[in-house]
Amino acid sequence: MSHPQLASIFNKDEKKVNWHDKALWFVRHKRDMSVHHVQGWEELRNLGHGIKAHMLSNLDAYLEEFEANAKKNGVEVHWATNAEEHNQIVHKILKENNAKKVVKSKSMLTEECHLNPYLEADGIEVVDTDLGERIVQLAKEPPSHIVLPAIHKNKHEVDELFQEHLGTKPCDGDPQYLTGEARKHLRQKFIEADAAITGVNFAIAETGGFVVCTNEGNADMGAHIAPIHIACMGVEKIIPKLEHLGVFLRLLARSATGQPVTTYSSHFKKPKADKKMHIVIVDNGRSEQLSRPDFRASLHCIRCGACMNTCPIYRRSGGHSYDATIPGPIGSILSPGKDLSKHSSLPFASTLCGSCSDVCPVKIDIHAQLYKWRQIITKNTPQPFIKKKSMQMMGNIFAKPKKFEKIGKIARWSLRNLPKSLINSKPNAWGKARDLPEGPKQSFDEWYNERKQNKNS
Amino acid sequence: MGSRAEILAKIKANKPESLELPNIDPLIFDEGLNLVEEFTKKVEVVGGNVREIKSNVDVISHVKTFFPDSKVNFSTLEKTTDFNTLDLASIKSPQDLEDLDVLILESDLAVAENGAVWVADSQLPFRVLPFITKHLVLVVSKKHIVPYMHQAYQKLNNAPTDFGVFISGPSKTADIEQSLVIGAHGALSLTVFLKS
Amino acid sequence: MKVGLFIPCYINQLYPQVGKATLELLEKLNVEVVYPSGQTCCGQPMANSGYESESVGACHHFVNNFKDFDYIVTPSGSCAYHVKKHYNIIPQTNDVTKVRNNVYELCDFILNVLKVKKLGAYFPHKVGVHKSCHGLRGLRLGSCSERVTPEYSYIEDLLKEVKGVELIPVKRSDECCGFGGTFAVTEEAVSVKMGKDKIKDHLESGVEVITATDTSCLMHLEGLVTRNKQPLKILHIAEILNSNL
Repeated sequence: MSHPQLASIFNKDEKKVNWHDKALWFVRHKRDMSVHHVQGWEELRNLGHGIKAHMLSNLDAYLEEFEANAKKNGVEVHWATNAEEHNQIVHKILKENNAKKVVKSKSMLTEECHLNPYLEADGIEVVDTDLGERIVQLAKEPPSHIVLPAIHKNKHEVDELFQEHLGTKPCDGDPQYLTGEARKHLRQKFIEADAAITGVNFAIAETGGFVVCTNEGNADMGAHIAPIHIACMGVEKIIPKLEHLGVFLRLLARSATGQPVTTYSSHFKKPKADKKMHIVIVDNGRSEQLSRPDFRASLHCIRCGACMNTCPIYRRSGGHSYDATIPGPIGSILSPGKDLSKHSSLPFASTLCGSCSDVCPVKIDIHAQLYKWRQIITKNTPQPFIKKKSMQMMGNIFAKPKKFEKIGKIARWSLRNLPKSLINSKPNAWGKARDLPEGPKQSFDEWYNERKQNKNS
Repeated sequence: MGSRAEILAKIKANKPESLELPNIDPLIFDEGLNLVEEFTKKVEVVGGNVREIKSNVDVISHVKTFFPDSKVNFSTLEKTTDFNTLDLASIKSPQDLEDLDVLILESDLAVAENGAVWVADSQLPFRVLPFITKHLVLVVSKKHIVPYMHQAYQKLNNAPTDFGVFISGPSKTADIEQSLVIGAHGALSLTVFLKS
Repeated sequence: MKVGLFIPCYINQLYPQVGKATLELLEKLNVEVVYPSGQTCCGQPMANSGYESESVGACHHFVNNFKDFDYIVTPSGSCAYHVKKHYNIIPQTNDVTKVRNNVYELCDFILNVLKVKKLGAYFPHKVGVHKSCHGLRGLRLGSCSERVTPEYSYIEDLLKEVKGVELIPVKRSDECCGFGGTFAVTEEAVSVKMGKDKIKDHLESGVEVITATDTSCLMHLEGLVTRNKQPLKILHIAEILNSNL
């Protein structure tokens, strides 16, 4: 289904929309409170943008540097051109080590690659350990937000879900109790795990190390207990130097939740002597996005989710209405690059208000890219006949003032004289919940000319 | 062609012309922070506690009053063998640390702007220690507080570690209806002792 | 100084009173203002819908109408922004560049070109400002809540000088109203919800009159207010600045 269809279903429950909107606006508000106290915030954003742009323009060299240093550190490095190959690599590592139980911390990349079902098909248990991710995993749903995966669920739904799957007591949705029970449940999973999979927030070329940020501590609980740690990263996660973390760690958590930094910013470099560490570097369409000058800045994204929290459409349509791994504004500029037809409604799920671009910590011109995708989509995917024709007609009318005046006159007459029931009937989506203005007798043009004549006479 | 070569070749072909790497000037962010004040404020904001002490000796007595019921304790501070109940030699795997109640670690780097304290591999016989413990106690000298992350990385540039983590507050989550709950998978509490 | 008055298509046809107020206001300020007849549209509706190519004729027509003016002034931030930002799809002749550089939203023009603040207007009402997005984040007619910059707002600067106006702050000072051009019909459900929420914010804050630099946002809000019979008046900023004792 298209975004408008899914969004209109979401909007059938207005109370839920209000709740969803408020919850995310609260996060946006916390972000504001936090960043407005950072001296030089806009400079920090410029640096984030500049470092990422530089990185992309030398990405091949930095990837090679990163790989060489990671190998020196005793880490095994793998390369995957696409999702399928990524899954095969992870599967092979697990098989070779006879790993049956896997704990995974948040990684949008493994979501993108659909790693869980791939491993589960071979009888491997994969447990998502981020609380929000565990909730949606138990509910058999995809995450609806990249930082707050279960933001679409209220506490009562979580209560019921935990009763069913974790055998908890009914608690009227007490978050403290539910989190405590999840801690116990997942603690057991951490202790038993044969392997841990994590994402990568930043991979540092000059050291070969990488940083994983969490608030819950789940990435570390997994990676330090299990004998094998597999870290999966998109090629664009590279930053040149260690000192650049100073910029990105200052930007990331403040933009995401308003925290000054995540609780844990873990810097992995060398595995312990008795353990193994693997890094899987994944392309999966990123090098293609790099080839598009108008859209390559979308690869700057550090996955803070601020554009989702600020987006008035996201807040009122829910993450699932985007039907994509990454929802919201940033998803709407990434997804069309992967499958233009499937995601053709996403760049139109925006008023181009520009809030996403101004909130973005690495200054991705998200709304400008949405506009540009629209131009490409109308040329390259089938468009409704009516839309196409009406645009041609409008283009024609607006190029010819006489025609415009004539049609304007008819429209104004209709608005004045036709019954409201007819004006607001079905084909006019505007009229479903809104009135159209009264049609004035005189256009501005007519009034002005009349005034001019009166003055002259 | 293998995947590595294929990916690198595609990137090489598709990347834009080289753009300059911007230079970071930490001075533009400098607000002249009172480091101890700011650090204390931020640790409290992120759900931790700060206590000022004169020397390491005070740490143990404070910890004993904070956590009177703790049974399994471990400290890397000097002269705290009496406090330690954990026999590291008996620990075969990280799983065996599950019952740890209180862990005390020393750090030589803390960041005022976000209340983060750097914990490095060198003092961690097991990397999972600061995460698996129920209560985490960190000891830092006031003189080791830097204002921003930029200065923190200037220091870390000269002190490479195999593993290290910035810890800012106890573990937490807000994944259930945005209600903040302290104590997700990691430590349930964090106390920072600031030495003068 | 020769000023060309640009009246966007929907204002011309549906809200002529906004055009009149703009013209009268500029004349009061002793600006030599001409309205070139035969104006149509800046091309934005097609371009924002993904049909930039269909808007080329409108772009050329616009440039032809306005190429001889020192300034082009319009009571629409959104249309001014479109000319500035998106007229890169036609060859950049001197005329095109000149038009793109010299197009101004009304408040911006009054404050920053004419450098006038006090307009002698009188409007004894509780006014809520809706900061239309293209003006705010496109033309930067004010600071927005996302960025860490000094606070300013052209429309509020002018309103503060209007006798009798009580400016009412709202909870979400610069969230989009949900109009968005064709978005208003293609994403009808979300568009309406956004508009309803915007109105609720103003009503709950005690606003009597909502104003903005853009009639398009206001048409959307007015459509909802009229349908739901809510006690709110909707006026373009030009109408308030042009009101007298």
